[in-house]
Amino acid sequence: MFAPRFRLSAALVLALLPRGWCAAPPPSAEAVAKLPAAATRPVDFVRDIQPILEASCVKCHGRGKSKGDWRLDTRETFLQPGESGPALAAGGSAQSRLIHLVAGTDPDEIMPQKGTKLTAEQVGLLRAWVDQGLKWPAEITFAKPPDRNLRPRRPLLPAASAAQPLDALLDTYAGRHGASFPAVVDDRLFARRVWLDVVGLLPSPEDLMAFVADPAPDKRARLVRRLLADNPRYAQHWLTFWNDLLRNDYRGTGYIDGGRKQISTWLYAALRDNKPYDQFVRELVNPTEASEGFSRGIVWRGTVNASMTPSMQAAQNIGQVLMGVNLKCASCHDSFIDDWQLSDAYGLAGIYADEKLEMVLCDKPTGKFAPLKFLFPELGSVDASAPRTNRLEQLARIITGPDNGRLSRTVVNRLWARLLGRGLVEPLDVMQNEAWDPDLLDWLAEDLVAHRWDLKRTLELILTSRAYQLPAVSLPEKPDPAFVFHGPGIRRLTAEQFRDALGSVTGVWQDKPEGGLDALLVEPGAARPLPAEAFWIWSDPHGATGVAPGTNWFRRTLVLEAVPSEATLFAHADNSVRVFVNGARVRGAESSDWSRPGVYDVRKALKSGTNVVTLEAVNGGDEPNPAGVLAYLKLRTRQGEGERVWDVASDATWLATTNRVEATQESSAAVTWTSAHVLGPPGLGPWNIGEALAQSVAGRPVYGQVRASLTGADPLALALGRPNREQVTTVRQSTPTTIQALELTNGDTLSRLLQQGAERLVSTGADGPTLATRVFAQALSRPPTPRELSLAVELVGSQPRREGVEDLLWSVAMLPEFQLTF
Amino acid sequence: MNTRDFTRREFVQSLSAATLGALGAGYPRALLGNEPVESLPATADSVIVLWMGGGMAATETFDPKRFTPFEKGMNPNTVLSTFPSIPTSVDGIRFSEGLERLAQVMDRGTLIRSYTAGDLGFILHSRHQYHWHTGYAPPQSVACPHLGAVVARTLGPKNPAVPAFINIGQRLDVGEGEELKAFTTAGFLGSEFGPFNVAFPDAAKDVVTPPGGMSPSRFASRDKFYRELVEASPVGQLGSGYQKDSLLRSLDNANRLLSSSAAQAFDLSRETPETVAKYVPGGWDFSKRLGGDFTREGSYEKANIQRFGLGCLLARRLAEAGARYIEVTTEYIPFLNWDTHEHGHEKLANMKHAIDGAIAQLVLDLEERGMLDRTLIVVASEFSRDMMQEGKPDKPIKDQVPVPDKIESLTHYGMHRHFTDAGSVLLFGGGVKKGHLHGITADERPCKTLKDRVVIEDLHATIYRALGISPKLSYEIEKRPFYVTRDGVGQPISSLFAKPV
Repeated sequence: MFAPRFRLSAALVLALLPRGWCAAPPPSAEAVAKLPAAATRPVDFVRDIQPILEASCVKCHGRGKSKGDWRLDTRETFLQPGESGPALAAGGSAQSRLIHLVAGTDPDEIMPQKGTKLTAEQVGLLRAWVDQGLKWPAEITFAKPPDRNLRPRRPLLPAASAAQPLDALLDTYAGRHGASFPAVVDDRLFARRVWLDVVGLLPSPEDLMAFVADPAPDKRARLVRRLLADNPRYAQHWLTFWNDLLRNDYRGTGYIDGGRKQISTWLYAALRDNKPYDQFVRELVNPTEASEGFSRGIVWRGTVNASMTPSMQAAQNIGQVLMGVNLKCASCHDSFIDDWQLSDAYGLAGIYADEKLEMVLCDKPTGKFAPLKFLFPELGSVDASAPRTNRLEQLARIITGPDNGRLSRTVVNRLWARLLGRGLVEPLDVMQNEAWDPDLLDWLAEDLVAHRWDLKRTLELILTSRAYQLPAVSLPEKPDPAFVFHGPGIRRLTAEQFRDALGSVTGVWQDKPEGGLDALLVEPGAARPLPAEAFWIWSDPHGATGVAPGTNWFRRTLVLEAVPSEATLFAHADNSVRVFVNGARVRGAESSDWSRPGVYDVRKALKSGTNVVTLEAVNGGDEPNPAGVLAYLKLRTRQGEGERVWDVASDATWLATTNRVEATQESSAAVTWTSAHVLGPPGLGPWNIGEALAQSVAGRPVYGQVRASLTGADPLALALGRPNREQVTTVRQSTPTTIQALELTNGDTLSRLLQQGAERLVSTGADGPTLATRVFAQALSRPPTPRELSLAVELVGSQPRREGVEDLLWSVAMLPEFQLTF
Repeated sequence: MNTRDFTRREFVQSLSAATLGALGAGYPRALLGNEPVESLPATADSVIVLWMGGGMAATETFDPKRFTPFEKGMNPNTVLSTFPSIPTSVDGIRFSEGLERLAQVMDRGTLIRSYTAGDLGFILHSRHQYHWHTGYAPPQSVACPHLGAVVARTLGPKNPAVPAFINIGQRLDVGEGEELKAFTTAGFLGSEFGPFNVAFPDAAKDVVTPPGGMSPSRFASRDKFYRELVEASPVGQLGSGYQKDSLLRSLDNANRLLSSSAAQAFDLSRETPETVAKYVPGGWDFSKRLGGDFTREGSYEKANIQRFGLGCLLARRLAEAGARYIEVTTEYIPFLNWDTHEHGHEKLANMKHAIDGAIAQLVLDLEERGMLDRTLIVVASEFSRDMMQEGKPDKPIKDQVPVPDKIESLTHYGMHRHFTDAGSVLLFGGGVKKGHLHGITADERPCKTLKDRVVIEDLHATIYRALGISPKLSYEIEKRPFYVTRDGVGQPISSLFAKPV
């Protein structure tokens, strides 16, 4: 039965012969004699042939490549002759050029040219395959796969479904996979999850109780909306996620000599204001001064490998973060693991380069230049002759344009993975892969675009879906290709969530923000009358109407019984001010805009006894113009539940001088100090900052209450998997390790934190049962069981001792129930 | 327990699920060309790298040239070495004055004089240190693992109660600390293989004993309470899974280390004062603590002489306890220690005093314990120095430090500039030849490599070869192979081994 089939394929070959090719001479009898014998058993394409073709042929003759003008994408192209004629001959495998090439009967012409030669057994299988009729299932192709997840696609929601859109889509999915979903988790578990996922914090016992007691049927959706609307807490949590993705950090390599730039203030403001994602991306791709750190990359002094120049870093990071495309291989050579080529990486990098970029192949200059293009040229072109700023504008337009369905899919997939422990597409950076439910992915992506790229809208959809509310399941560590969705994965708290959760339990937080975020963290409160009366002051009584440019110094002496627990100076200045306490400059978030206060943490500079606060204020410009400074020093000391107020503000008791003095000198007799002139109250024109000042002072304290995401990594954070952000990180390692457990068990950072926390808890005066109950309720979002309570009280004592409380805190923090999101 | 009898199989059995999970972080893989990665017979089981951070001048240490004593008004170009040379126990090999004890043990080791640092353009210490420790020049598109992390990942701990990779003597919050952190890491291999950092060897026992102020009995009762709490926790109702199990096991492992006898290896006060004095110039009083005004120049450099010796003593104790990879550094801080820009001559006398007895005694102690043959000691630095030449003769780099036409004071008498063409690496034990010299350098400026040039890929390949690791071994990251020597090109220098490899 084999022969007729063979004749059929041979006939096909002859029929397809084009004109013009140069047929190689037929093989000699000697060559034929050298051939390994054909296998005698029936061959199976999938089992026997496909692996040989994949391993030895496809790299050069498939996946878009056609060396020698011959492709084996499909059976049809296989049979089309290449440069040296048809692969097969009418005389069967013994006469076929393909077989002689892979058998190497002519030592000068052996295939494959690169890599390992085929074995005699493999040649025998190929011969049998040819002779048995070249069976090739039509669905198997070695062609370059079409770009997946690229074009926008809006699936229709199942008809006549009143359910939440994601539920409706997942119902269809479940039907297809014969899956059925269990009941959703209880209120307590849901609330804990949502709090951690939206704002990164544990709910307080009071918040939790109120939520559980609320009878409203839509309370879950309302909780989600309420938390999403808490802009500062939302920003402080999601900052971690985006810092990882955009490899932004407050410390790290490159900063030492200007080889790197932070985007912290830009990013924080973008998250707080929920900047539409398309605008967010435009500002990353075609940056402003505040956002350029992302595309500028990291530069160390010295020569840099061609694959890691700043413009290549920009190409890699834009590809990976925004488009789910890994260009790292293709930055040195055509990729071996996917279809990206060197010219793709250089085409994108060239858009960022100031000069034409010569392609360098594995450290060897090629003398060739790639045409400038985006990864998917069909989405739009970049004008290579345009100046760089215009090219970046064009690139930003292409990436955020309506034809690019990859940008939205990539980001919704990342959000889904963050909230449910596994992406719709895995790995998250290979968006060419198929989603486990393409309808769900595509619908979420299009919904994002349709709602002005509002990421909070996507989060709300996911958080209110039944999928998110299902009981957590243990997902395998490596994504399983045969994955079927049954529920969200059990997730571990991030380093930042872990630290902040301990902040909630102990009241001990990080001390100061980094990255110049101080001023952004001031959250105005409801304006109330100020404890101290503040005035605009200057050395000249006409400051408000206009005086000559120049510098004024102002000082005030301050006697303190003890250093306050909060000591924040707000300073409005027209035009700028520098702050000194006891002779030392205090750095803070400076402001050169009189409507916004500079914010300075002066706790560390103050001492008990006499202190001197000095302001060095500058009126800028070239001609007379309004000049004034207004300082408000908020000084508070916590006393039990209340606080003691020591506030001090600029007024006529401050001394002024226009003589240049060493502001660092505590007393300078040589200078004639006179009383400062009061210009008027905070509401005085042209400044009129009365309301703003009252709100700043009434706002939450900034210092001493700082979230982990706003500070550099400490050893505890590093041990718990916070990356050093030298590279883009899209998935953190969350597996517990022994080195990590050592840091948790006897590391200084945690040990100090727990000591302070225990001291605070003991100082509240609570008895053992009250204290233990409070710790459990805050840490685990549930009261202790009777057994737990009796164990805990036994440990801390009925009148709690610091050491016992410390050990209780440590033990609770190590519980899987605390560290994992079930 | 005799740690050396601990076999690989037992080790794997004793490993927690947590560790096995972490092992999955980078998967070993064969080369793309389908070549199998050979498994090689090892000549060493562990490595101790003694890191001369800051650029150790070869002409002032292991490759002395013509000595030119200080004279007011001398021409700097005439100065090649600022110390006379001394003989060693090997004919034909001379050291610089100040290394008398090391000179006596040269017959146990191999000296490479032709180490050539990478061409990285403008010379930044931390960038060259990154290159030396990972084999790759930063920046890189993946987080590159440190040499010690690769060894830890590939061979695992020798004794599961001792971290496989221990890094002694470098603080990471000083000077170019952020840059140092970039390579003092297991990178993509995962933190399980990362360094266990011990900045102050005198206080090493603190890192493996219960946290500050906690008595052993309280530590034990905390652990007991924790176990009871886990037992009583209703979390069981929420199901288990590897996340929960691995968390519990990792804490078990840490607890085991903290309670094990291996932890005593970290306690230097168990050594006799006589032994300590052999490593530490002037001995050490363990009631004192390094720290305080330690960072101030002067007092820092004085204290640091003793700190390196304590580090070497700790390395010996940890090697005995079964550590796999140990690094002891003289500590890199810009403009201190080997980073000799001014007063080079005086500072080098100090540094040689710090290392001479410490390294020699480490060699002798390991030999006496029968461990030297299976422990490879590597003394190395990121590059060498010269008085005049910055970079290499054929690739000069912009001078970083001005050198006056005439030297009027000791300020400018010494090696100011970074020289990359010839540096010294000293090897002891671990199967390398005894009393052997590799590489020839020019006797006149520029004192460049003339023969048998050694680059980092080959030096790493040699270290890996001694440990039985192929230089072509790779780990998978983002589906790409990451080779333990750059692109798998490293070639072991077979002539350095006592027996053919």
